[in-house]
Amino acid sequence: MTTAPARPPLVRSSDRVIAGVCAGLANHLGWPVRMVRIGMAVAALAGGAGVAFYAWLWIMVPTADENARRTARRPASPIAPAVSFPDTPGVADLSDAPGMPGAPGTSGTPTKAAPGSWRSKVSGMPFGKEILLGAGLLLAAGILIARLVGVDVPLGTLIPVAAILGGAAIAWMQLDETRRAGLVDKTKADQAGGWARLAAGLALVVAGVLVMVSGSGSWEQTWLALLASVAVLGGVALVLLPWGLKFWRDLETERAGRVRATERAEIAAHLHDSVLQTLALIQRRAANEHDVIRLARAQERELRGWLYRDSDKESGQLSDGIKAAAAEVEDALGNAVEVVSVGDCAMTQRHEALVQASREAMLNAARHGGGAVSVYLEVTDAAAEVFVKDRGPGFDPDSVPPDRLGVRESIIGRMNRHGGTAAITSSPDGTEVRLRLPIAAASAGTAAAAANNANGEAKP
Amino acid sequence: MQRNPVQGSPAPIRVVIVDDHAIFRSGLKADLDPDIVVAGEAGTVEEAIAVIAVQRPDVVLLDVHLPGGRGGGGREVLAGSAPLLGTTRFLALSVSDAAEDVVSVIRAGARGYVTKTISGAEISGAVRRVAGGDAVFSPRLAGFVLDAFGTAPADIADDELDKLSARELEVMRLIARGYSYKEVAKGLFISIKTVETHVSAVLRKLQLSSRHELTRWAAERRLL
Repeated sequence: MTTAPARPPLVRSSDRVIAGVCAGLANHLGWPVRMVRIGMAVAALAGGAGVAFYAWLWIMVPTADENARRTARRPASPIAPAVSFPDTPGVADLSDAPGMPGAPGTSGTPTKAAPGSWRSKVSGMPFGKEILLGAGLLLAAGILIARLVGVDVPLGTLIPVAAILGGAAIAWMQLDETRRAGLVDKTKADQAGGWARLAAGLALVVAGVLVMVSGSGSWEQTWLALLASVAVLGGVALVLLPWGLKFWRDLETERAGRVRATERAEIAAHLHDSVLQTLALIQRRAANEHDVIRLARAQERELRGWLYRDSDKESGQLSDGIKAAAAEVEDALGNAVEVVSVGDCAMTQRHEALVQASREAMLNAARHGGGAVSVYLEVTDAAAEVFVKDRGPGFDPDSVPPDRLGVRESIIGRMNRHGGTAAITSSPDGTEVRLRLPIAAASAGTAAAAANNANGEAKP
Repeated sequence: MQRNPVQGSPAPIRVVIVDDHAIFRSGLKADLDPDIVVAGEAGTVEEAIAVIAVQRPDVVLLDVHLPGGRGGGGREVLAGSAPLLGTTRFLALSVSDAAEDVVSVIRAGARGYVTKTISGAEISGAVRRVAGGDAVFSPRLAGFVLDAFGTAPADIADDELDKLSARELEVMRLIARGYSYKEVAKGLFISIKTVETHVSAVLRKLQLSSRHELTRWAAERRLL
């Protein structure tokens, strides 16, 4: 990746005959697939070299899916996922509010540095592993050739030594990996893999030692020695177990403590940046009731968004847009705007128009209604509907002078242009604006429009 | 919200306020209308259960988040006062908008839910309504109900516990839009009594339904 940026990564292709190795290799090297396949077949005839090469690549090269998963696996902040995304829309709006100092954004910085350094480390590692393996294979090939030529190679000792080295390498590699990943992502799968690797390493080492030792004596002796050593090891383990357990437990507590401390620090940073600042402002402006209410409202909204955010929920939804518009109106005019939403969908260009019209309706409701504004968003399979209600004295929609663009253009006109409808009912008890936007464009009732209504009415 | 002219009724409504913030308790006490008498206060789960058992109030104003007990908060108070649920009604009060907080106290037996930011007159109205045996739905609770039960009406009668009828859906939608019961009645051309019947029916369904969708909805929000 870092060495040859122009090349696509070496991954096994899904366009496969056996395991997708040839297609992947061809894609990586930029050669025609047919050539690579023929070359591989010819090499297979040359003493099975092609088969070995193919098998090696099959084992070592990940499929495209695996590769994608491996690179995309890292969460932004593994320790405290709830506090790692401070830049919610609510926060962004808060900083726009007059008299509100810097919105919290500091908690993002420490987490940003981590993934970069991790990736740079890991990009070096797999190549190192592969080069090591390649060197081992070359060595084996050299020994085989030497034997063919006639040189006497002491295979009896070399193979067990190689096994011991290999086993130790596997076990140590794992230690290195856990240290590198730290305590951040000890998922179940990783642990299982770690255990398997440890077992494999242990088996290799024990087998190597056994072969080496048994070379000098009979099997019976070896068996006895093995039994004795297992007994000794068992005794030692029995004695050391309490210490080991205690050490392990201490380590776990310390680890948990560190995680808690990090979380606390994040929360403290957030509270300091937001709530404490607002409280200070409120004390300074205690005389101005309007400002105090607005500050408290904005801070409440921000804290609520931070505390009760659904971390599973994806952002960029329609309800987020409506809530952001409500927050804007609250900040601008100081009236409470309560948003209740049922159902949700992803924002599209047409929904943007719905949000703008809702915003205009909320502004009107806050300006002329005076009190709190109720906003209800309902998204069903058929349509997205927004209701904006106030409890003001009401007005006659037909008597609005033609030069007043607010209602006529920004609400009704905008909705009509995007294939929706707007209705206004007003009585002395209050006014309600009802906006309705069908999911698919009414004129283009085809499947294409339903499948992708983002492009359907991009430009009116 | 609604100003039921029951001020003239002879017996005042006795309430117990359960909230761990003393400032909030005293503020609420000052805000309540004069026909509502505060018979007791409590700040923890254990205190609340004891005070409610002794005072046997008409209505308990119950904060969702409470210290003490086994960490269950308002739900635990409801569980501890289960034998009194027939005579004492619970109205949940919370600063939390989280669905799990709201729906879990309702399912534990509370007759309604309001946010702490509403005015004293509105809380007094809600207390009277709950004391009268009706349910109190805030727009947000109505939103949760619509989210949980879905917005499609029931078509057959036998799953009546699991879905809302067309009329109940209409009532819930209007409440979610910020309508008071009176406005709902006017908008649907029915009496306030009928609105109250519908809302109580919805509350019963919310408390009793074991519907698959509701369970899944709750599980997604870690309610069950």
